[in-house]
Amino acid sequence: MNLTTINHSSYPRIGDDPGQQVLRRTIAEWEKGAKSDADLRAAEERLSELALAEQIEAGLDVVTDGQVRWYDSISHLAGKLSGVRINGLLRFFDTNTYFRQPVVNARVERTRPLALDDFLFAKVKSSRPVKVVLTGPVTLARHSIEENGGAGGFEKLVEGYTEALAAEIAALAQAGAILVQIDEPSLLKNPEDLVIAGRALAVLVAAKGKAEILLALYFGDAAPLYDQLQNLPVDSLGLDFTYSPRLGEVISASGSAKTLALGFVDGRNTKLEDAGAVARQIETLARRLNATRLYLTSSCGLEYLPRDRARLKLRRLAAIKNEFLGGRT
Amino acid sequence: MSRAKLQELGINLPLFPTTSVGSFPKPDYLVKARADFAKKLISREELTQKERQATEFWIRKQEELGIDVLVDGEMYRGDMVAYFAEHLPGFELGGLVRSYGNRYYHKPIITEEVRWEQPITVDWWKYAQGLTSKPVKGMLTGPYTVMDWSFNEHYASRRETCLALAKVIRREVEALVQAGAKIIQIDEPATSVRPEELQIAIEGLRIATEGLPAYFITHICYGAFEHIYPEMLNMPVENFDLEMSNSGLDMLALFRKSPFTKDLSFGVVDVHSHVIEAEALVEQRLRDGLSVLPKENIWVDPDCGLKTRSVEEAIEKMRTLVKVAHALRN
Repeated sequence: MNLTTINHSSYPRIGDDPGQQVLRRTIAEWEKGAKSDADLRAAEERLSELALAEQIEAGLDVVTDGQVRWYDSISHLAGKLSGVRINGLLRFFDTNTYFRQPVVNARVERTRPLALDDFLFAKVKSSRPVKVVLTGPVTLARHSIEENGGAGGFEKLVEGYTEALAAEIAALAQAGAILVQIDEPSLLKNPEDLVIAGRALAVLVAAKGKAEILLALYFGDAAPLYDQLQNLPVDSLGLDFTYSPRLGEVISASGSAKTLALGFVDGRNTKLEDAGAVARQIETLARRLNATRLYLTSSCGLEYLPRDRARLKLRRLAAIKNEFLGGRT
Repeated sequence: MSRAKLQELGINLPLFPTTSVGSFPKPDYLVKARADFAKKLISREELTQKERQATEFWIRKQEELGIDVLVDGEMYRGDMVAYFAEHLPGFELGGLVRSYGNRYYHKPIITEEVRWEQPITVDWWKYAQGLTSKPVKGMLTGPYTVMDWSFNEHYASRRETCLALAKVIRREVEALVQAGAKIIQIDEPATSVRPEELQIAIEGLRIATEGLPAYFITHICYGAFEHIYPEMLNMPVENFDLEMSNSGLDMLALFRKSPFTKDLSFGVVDVHSHVIEAEALVEQRLRDGLSVLPKENIWVDPDCGLKTRSVEEAIEKMRTLVKVAHALRN
């Protein structure tokens, strides 16, 4: 059984050391006109390199660029599309963090890369495979509002975001991306969107080339929807175990036709998991699923944690894997 | 209005009592003093002197504006949860986490049983109340919000955390009551975030307030009220202080379907806008409220704390709402 440790998505872009605050300082000065766009890019690249280095040092098998350039999960992507302007702050799910809401006033279109440049940078800087993370079309649409007719209603808006993301995935695959994660936390809050999500994901998967598409769901209980999630046309499925006391049992009972990314490590709380206990949970699940491959990750992105704790969580992922492999290696 | 309770407490308020949610902007000299204190350039005593100076400024300003129920303005607080965490054993101040964009804050971590050892806000309340004959609200953050906005490494569940914090916060409520506070606001802005946990928030507030002789207010803002209304009315308070203007008064539609049965501190000005609302707009908002709520139940205040506005903007927003409330009163 192959267990791969993967960073979920985001990573803190600040820390308590002065060197970890370079991006905050640069953005503040850039906003006042005291720093140039090139200065800002350099600071972003510095933080992305730091995030990659900490993931690699922790022993992760697959890393991300830490999404350090992202203002938030919604406006970073939507704001790069035509037909969208970015408006005021709203709370992001049940977190005490906020996103800027896209206002859609026309058909949305991709006129430039969304995450491609960040991937190419990370790919060069990382000695480990890099996973790309994109917010999914349903979650983008659920967090947008339309004005003046917008895209023509919710379904059309999902279609517009889907086409834009499909073009991005095609470009990423062509550039060598082997794993693309689509984040759709809204599906757990709005399960009525599963049908439209299925259609959208089929379009994204058709664009993936040789890349693997991992659908990530978090900030909610996936257990009641698990069987329906298995029917979605994706290669692998990432699940948040912190909301679902029953999820392990449900998965054991239903099995999985997809590679599962197990979000056993809590990305929203600083308390460190008992590596042995989690390793035993994985062993039990692997045995019941008769799985040949599983991913181990956190329940959500790690930017909800202070940097020192996020780094410990990464190391804990590696420690759980070591516990799991104990006696086998 | 729960006039009877207020009168029992010896407080007589006019129609449309005016108040504010809690925080006011810190004057420039205090912002500088806080920065200097963080850099160890000035002493705690020097900082406290500036905090007292700023508190007196806001008490005098509120009196000058004709506000009925005053606040101390929270000149001595940074974040509404971290302030309490800094004063309660059992918390550690965690590293920086992002709030949004390029804004970060220190999120507290509960590392052991949280304990109340001595009053936290009482000296400040006494100082502020000593400057005025008008009632000054005691201002606390509620157990559910402190729980939701902290990391937890000690308690077994969110409910257990909230209820443990409620017992701690009750000690502070008791201390405020003992000091003479008659109106106490316990803010619970996190309440609407997980509708399925509303009962935990209610249970926590009950523990913190039950049987204590005060008129209780809770402030909730920027959430999905449609998921917790009307059940939220079971919170054991006399008055809900709600952000109404930022959400286009859409709460009124909920009140039409199911009557609002408590007093309402009606947010009539948006605290996230630099624009000073026209009196006509503020009056229209209140008149819209009056189409659904009895006039005796309405207090008038801003949507939320004004600390993110400039001193001048905060004063002008308060001046506007007081003028409108006085005009309607007459």
